[in-house]
Amino acid sequence: MIKIICLYCLTCGFLFCQAQYPGYTLMNNPDNFKQSFAQATSSTRTIQSDFSQEKSLTMLSEKINSTGKFWYQKEDRLRMQYFQPYDYLMILNAGKIYVKDGQKESKISAGSSNVFKQVNRILIDCVSGGMLKNPDFHSQLWENQGSVLVELKPLAKNLKELYKNINIVLDKKDYSATAIEMDEVSGNKTIIRFKNKEINAHIPDTVFNIP
Amino acid sequence: MRIFLIRFSIFLSGVVLNYSCSQYRHMQRVQSDESCIQKFKPEFDRVVYRTSADVVGKHISGLLFIKFMPDSSTRILFSSETGLSYFDFGFLPDDEFKVFQVTPAMNKKSLIRTLRKDFELILFRNMDSSKYYSLSDTHFVYHAFPQSSGVNYYVTDSNCLQLVKMQRASDKKPVMEAFIYGSLPGNSPDSIVIRHLNFNFTIFLKKVAPLAAQ
Repeated sequence: MIKIICLYCLTCGFLFCQAQYPGYTLMNNPDNFKQSFAQATSSTRTIQSDFSQEKSLTMLSEKINSTGKFWYQKEDRLRMQYFQPYDYLMILNAGKIYVKDGQKESKISAGSSNVFKQVNRILIDCVSGGMLKNPDFHSQLWENQGSVLVELKPLAKNLKELYKNINIVLDKKDYSATAIEMDEVSGNKTIIRFKNKEINAHIPDTVFNIP
Repeated sequence: MRIFLIRFSIFLSGVVLNYSCSQYRHMQRVQSDESCIQKFKPEFDRVVYRTSADVVGKHISGLLFIKFMPDSSTRILFSSETGLSYFDFGFLPDDEFKVFQVTPAMNKKSLIRTLRKDFELILFRNMDSSKYYSLSDTHFVYHAFPQSSGVNYYVTDSNCLQLVKMQRASDKKPVMEAFIYGSLPGNSPDSIVIRHLNFNFTIFLKKVAPLAAQ
């Protein structure tokens, strides 16, 4: 009887794992992937891309969509500029954050231990490939024919209070991120999808200048 | 007897001071119609506001989503531009209030209480007709709705053609003022300004382009 119950539990567990991300199966050799991924991301110097963002307010059955442009330069420079339906600019450069919302500008210094800064750091990690080494998360890899899904579960207390998990979808062709999904503890989620990606295109330093 | 006299004089001076300090003391009670105010009530069926707030030297911005729900409650959700939800408040029927979600950084009793009162004023909630009265100075009519503490005022011109401002007040003086702009009857305002008078806290709301249908 105990054997039957164990077998039943194992089958249910297996089915649950397979169904967690429809179309994806748990990766058999994550170490091989991690090696190839590290190699590929080490040669990525810049990324520029358009993006669309979909914020789903689950309990309110609503979505807020926005679009913008995204620039990344190794090691830690990032610029996200929203154009629709609102203007918003965020630049991360050497640990400093500059934000311009409408006419208002604000800066967050390198020394501050701000959750805002930590959350934005995740964006850099997601596109630069640093997320698999980030000690604030436990990672699990899933795959299908064309892509790899990196599931990140927060370990740090302050991130655990905000996010259930953060998933990054990587293109198997060039290991670049095609989407980032941030699932909040509240049930709300945000998906950022990247399109028209250009890898290692020249990006002037001035793009990341903090005024 | 001496102690009684001292206590009584302290009490009396408190009452006199309170009365003399009140910014509403010079106003006259006037007869007015509560329905005057109802016509200015904004409708927040489903709207997103670009929001920026300055609180004692700190700046925060994001998107404020307001939705009137099928159960007659109104939900207010504030999130960062990059998607992180800061808070989700529910203004339920019968003037109940519920915090559905709040980030640890914003989970401060005094902040939540302040935001609750601010939005209750703007949403035209807690307007108990049985307690309603109105005051008038030379220019404006102050439509007063006493709250559990303090009073909410909706200030109109004497002909009730325009809602000039909204005020939250203690017994003595206004503690917060709010202004709505571009509001047509049955519509949500184009912009809203909330300005606290007893400490440095200002919120600006500017309507974002209409949402796509779900």
